Amino acid sequence: MKYTFQYFFSTTLLFLCAVAFAQETKSPPLKADNIAPAKPVQEIEKLPEKKETDTLKPKINRYGLRVGVDLYRLTRGLYDKDYKGIEFVGDYRLSKNYYLAAEIGNENKTTDDTRLNSTAKGSYLKAGFDYNAYENWLDMENIISIGLRAGFSTFSQQLNSYKIYNPNPYWGEVPSIISGKEFNGLTASWIEVVAGVKAKMFNNVFVGFSIRLNRLITNKEPNGFENLYIPGFNRTYDGDFGVGFNYSISYFIPLYKKKILPEEVQKTNKK
Amino acid sequence: MQMKKIPFLILIIAFSCFFSGCEKDDICDPDTPTTPRLVIQFYDINNPTVEKSVTNLKVIGEGMTDGIIFEPLASGESKYLSNAKSISIPLKTNDIKTTYSFILNSGSSNPLFVNTDKITFNYTTIDEYVSRACGFKTVFEMSPSNPFVHTDGTVADSKWMKFIQLQKTSITTENEIHLSIFF
Repeated sequence: MKYTFQYFFSTTLLFLCAVAFAQETKSPPLKADNIAPAKPVQEIEKLPEKKETDTLKPKINRYGLRVGVDLYRLTRGLYDKDYKGIEFVGDYRLSKNYYLAAEIGNENKTTDDTRLNSTAKGSYLKAGFDYNAYENWLDMENIISIGLRAGFSTFSQQLNSYKIYNPNPYWGEVPSIISGKEFNGLTASWIEVVAGVKAKMFNNVFVGFSIRLNRLITNKEPNGFENLYIPGFNRTYDGDFGVGFNYSISYFIPLYKKKILPEEVQKTNKK
Repeated sequence: MQMKKIPFLILIIAFSCFFSGCEKDDICDPDTPTTPRLVIQFYDINNPTVEKSVTNLKVIGEGMTDGIIFEPLASGESKYLSNAKSISIPLKTNDIKTTYSFILNSGSSNPLFVNTDKITFNYTTIDEYVSRACGFKTVFEMSPSNPFVHTDGTVADSKWMKFIQLQKTSITTENEIHLSIFF
């Protein structure tokens, strides 16, 4: 059952990727069509100015706040009984390509390894920026971004049960030992490199996903145990690195607009 | 355009990795020091600095039918027999004492040669975290007042171990000798 759900959600995710791709591949032909007439503009420029304004409409960039929720964390609780979590995402457009971005969330994750079972629960905050590397045509507002975040998590861990590793089980394998020991007041901080895509579906609704490479900066380990899962950071590995991702749906609240005048006009002004 | 797609392919591969659950492939490295055994070294009672090999020593835990396997490659009864100068025996991780019968010249055709001694080890256990893949290990702290009790076997022949000396009170690694037996 769990896997059925997993596949359901992963296929949904793949469809989303397809949407994002479609958006991307459609745009270049548009670009090509429009760039072509842009060249002759140079010649037209000597003609009366009103012609020019007809061919090159000013681009309008909308500025505002985008808020949303991570659907992956929200839906994971439906098929994974060991997970409960929520993450809110938000970004604010600072300039043409830069966005202030942040995620805030709470997770409760039980990690069931073959020899250990532990639960990590806590809250986290990630803040940083995104750089939109995608050149939108006309009034499209899609984003293909690369960004950085500083993450901070405060959490607790509970060791539910463990097994003794005994390479010489002459006396037989000892069953799991119930512990219930709790480790409170744990913290961790890390840096995330984020690669993400956001596509405008309709009106002001965006869907997106991002993948993150994390590197731990500080990690307050419990005495006599280890942070196997850090809310926000995700599962830990032997080194300081980790990976994470989200899959978000968000709503854009427009606050103001900026008109971008066509570059050709600026050039003529200089002359 | 083609170049732009490459990062996305990487993303998708990474995602499918997440969903297919490649999280669970941790395996405990056999070289990781985990629950240690008690390491016993044998010495010559007449020349206490000289290590001495035992002959056909079989070690059986109390309540067990089979002995500890010392020679995993040997077949039949001989895999339970040690002819070494040193043996390692596991202690119970879920108890505070372990009793073993040490049968010297086990399987000998002359029953007079077969001699059994019993040792009960008294200790406390501490479970220590190792790693995600290995879980925990148990280390042992030998009882300070009464670390072991040496008795003769059911047959009242004289004990074959003449003198036993505890070398280490903490059993945390197999890289050291914990107990010396002189015979």
